[in-house]
Amino acid sequence: MTTTVQPESAASRQPSRLAKIWNNVSIIFDSPVAMVGLAIVLFWFGMAILSLFWTPHDPNEQYFRDQRRSAYIMTYLPWIDLEDYDEVTRPKPEFLLGTDKTGRDLLSRVMAGGQVVLLKTRIPLPTDDVRRQDEISALSRLLDRFVPEEWDEVVVPGGVAIWGVIGSLVVGTTFGLLAGYKGGWTEQIVMQIMDALVAFPRIVLYIVVIASLGQGDLVIIIAITVTGAPGIARLSRSLALDIKTRDYIRAAETRGEGLLYIMFREILPNARGPLLVDAMLRVGYAIFTIGTLGFLGLGLQPPEPDWGSMVNDGRELIFSQPNIVIWPAIAISTLVIGLNLFADGVREELSRYQK
Amino acid sequence: MARFLMRSVISTLVTMLIVSALVFTLLEVSGRDVTVQILGVFATPEQKESLRKQLGLDQPGFVRYIDWLVGNDWRLRDELGNVQTVFNEISQEPEWYVLLDDGRFVRHEVCSRVEDIDSGFCQPGEMLYLVRNEDASFFRENAGDVWTTDPETGESVFWGVDIGNRAAKWVEGGGDTAFVSTQTGVQELTGAAVQWIPLRKGLLRGDAGVSLKTTRPVSKTLPIRIRNSAILAGLAFIVVMPLALFLGILTGINEGSFFDRFTSVTSLALTATPEFVTGVLLILVVGIYWSNNWLPGLVEAGFLPDWALESFKVPTTTLADSPNAIFEKPKELILPVLTLTAVELGYIVRMTRASMVEVMAAPYIRTAIIKGMPFRRVVFRHAVRNALLAPITIIMLHINYLVGGLVVVEVIFGFQGLGKFIFDHSIFGDPNAVEAAAMVTVLIAIVTRLLGDLAYTFLNPRIRYA
Repeated sequence: MTTTVQPESAASRQPSRLAKIWNNVSIIFDSPVAMVGLAIVLFWFGMAILSLFWTPHDPNEQYFRDQRRSAYIMTYLPWIDLEDYDEVTRPKPEFLLGTDKTGRDLLSRVMAGGQVVLLKTRIPLPTDDVRRQDEISALSRLLDRFVPEEWDEVVVPGGVAIWGVIGSLVVGTTFGLLAGYKGGWTEQIVMQIMDALVAFPRIVLYIVVIASLGQGDLVIIIAITVTGAPGIARLSRSLALDIKTRDYIRAAETRGEGLLYIMFREILPNARGPLLVDAMLRVGYAIFTIGTLGFLGLGLQPPEPDWGSMVNDGRELIFSQPNIVIWPAIAISTLVIGLNLFADGVREELSRYQK
Repeated sequence: MARFLMRSVISTLVTMLIVSALVFTLLEVSGRDVTVQILGVFATPEQKESLRKQLGLDQPGFVRYIDWLVGNDWRLRDELGNVQTVFNEISQEPEWYVLLDDGRFVRHEVCSRVEDIDSGFCQPGEMLYLVRNEDASFFRENAGDVWTTDPETGESVFWGVDIGNRAAKWVEGGGDTAFVSTQTGVQELTGAAVQWIPLRKGLLRGDAGVSLKTTRPVSKTLPIRIRNSAILAGLAFIVVMPLALFLGILTGINEGSFFDRFTSVTSLALTATPEFVTGVLLILVVGIYWSNNWLPGLVEAGFLPDWALESFKVPTTTLADSPNAIFEKPKELILPVLTLTAVELGYIVRMTRASMVEVMAAPYIRTAIIKGMPFRRVVFRHAVRNALLAPITIIMLHINYLVGGLVVVEVIFGFQGLGKFIFDHSIFGDPNAVEAAAMVTVLIAIVTRLLGDLAYTFLNPRIRYA
């Protein structure tokens, strides 16, 4: 928020805008459930941010790949037998949680696993590198026309889960408010399409979208948007149906305001509470989904760590080295539990507030 | 009521139409080359192009969509004559034939076999009839001069049905070189047709088409998968429902107790844990028990999926890939059912608990308690009936979600069900199979939603559908 405190508003004893926001936000401190959830979420956010600057080891470096190439092994672990997976992956003083089967440090990878989910979205651009051609989706080919020639990847702040939920909020509220406010045939058609999307089981839609558009962060954002939008549309439609009967909407109509103005400036701000709580829950679902897709081998682009893919990679060694599976699994579950607790707590507090 | 049902049926059909068009478009724009999947990465561009033509993929997308929906035999009747399907008792699959005026069912072939030419039976390039016998075998017969002149190009051409159930267009004397994928590899075939259109009746007439992955009709492979998944989901349902409703009611009555807190936190944790994590952790736990020989009778090969057995250095079973494996080794079902149970349990417990808490706070419950009715009777006669209204609707809606969970669980455990079918065929880029499976899942979603609505109406007399 870039709002500054205005001196005259303080003089007129009106609470400043910042104070108003703080008043709204501070209700979460009343709910222990929300606080526990927030703590868990902030922990993983902190880990992801920390991993941007520091991790114990390079998350993508394969320390045990090749004895001739890795100076690290020669210096610290000269006795190790690289053929023996148990030996390679076992936790050691230098690698607290052990390594995965290609010798990448597990602790660093678990820390950095939150980055793609929460903090950054990578969009690879077409390059001459043949090996990467499969990862390039049609969308990044389009994007390539608008950025300088020498870039081979665009990194956007905000994780895949966050952008996915923002995307479904934008699409969902647009259609939902339109259907709720206009009614009639518009509503029939919009809701029929949304119903079709709901009836289509999510995971099937994800697989079909990804199988057709190719792998990549952007494609997963689109998949989350498409599957999340119907739910949000349904919610915002029901909110719009309620809000459009109010007098201030009548007033805006009498003033001759346009459709978009009424939808986004009059109805949307009054519907934001339930939408925000819903969006928070949806971030949890999105993380859940990204993990599942990673597990199915359809997730974010390697080699950068992604918790779901880590579980998938490690599952073959599950009995000799369960660490590889357990830590990323715990990471996903706790983060989703945290988001759920937070959203539950906020919703409970809000409903108490309204009573 | 009749109007409500009528509207539901129409809405269902429209939804299925939208979804089928959506899936088709997505698979269409994918640019994923299905010929590479069939022929392998080392296929030459000529081979891939030839296969594309044989699969009829050179036709525009919307034409193929219409073919998929309503079939194309009526469209091709002008060229082919009276084309019909005849059921083959041996392969149990329908085959396409042209019904001649004399009542014989024939298919067509260009004379190219060495023994036929050497014996003087036919000249190379001549058209042959493959006349069908009663027992589905056939004999060759010279078709004579069947060629007609194409008014546009002036070539003499013939449209017939080839042995692969396709409408094929042959050009006299010419003909392209085609590459046919066989068991032993890719064979080069001269004198082949220049254009192919796979014949089909269309989904609306009960033909879901042939899967490109298995080369068998989808209607043969899909029902077995649906049955397997239904068994899996049904077992999970039988385990989950009584347990979840019992726990939900119990926690709802004892709101705020330690038992309530414990169960609520556990169910939240179970709900928020992805299926694949639950499944993998279950495998881990069972595997540890096994390796320590704590459960000697219960656990044996076939219980764990193959990939887990490999890490155990135990010989893997080869049964897992057979669609009927669950009947030969019912133990394979235990872990998938447990995983689904764990995932669904938390959700239903939470719903039931919330509903029970709300009902128990209602004035009529207070009245019943105050007037001295035994607490047990209050709960079972008055509270439970009303408290189960909301969960039953939500559970019906949740079946839709369960289908998504099935995909993951089936992939983890290598279970040959609907979910794995969808997964495998989507990855392959197999339009017919994916479309058919998507139609099934959409139907499941809509029917369960309708059943939820109807159950709600019957349980709650205050609601009536116009």
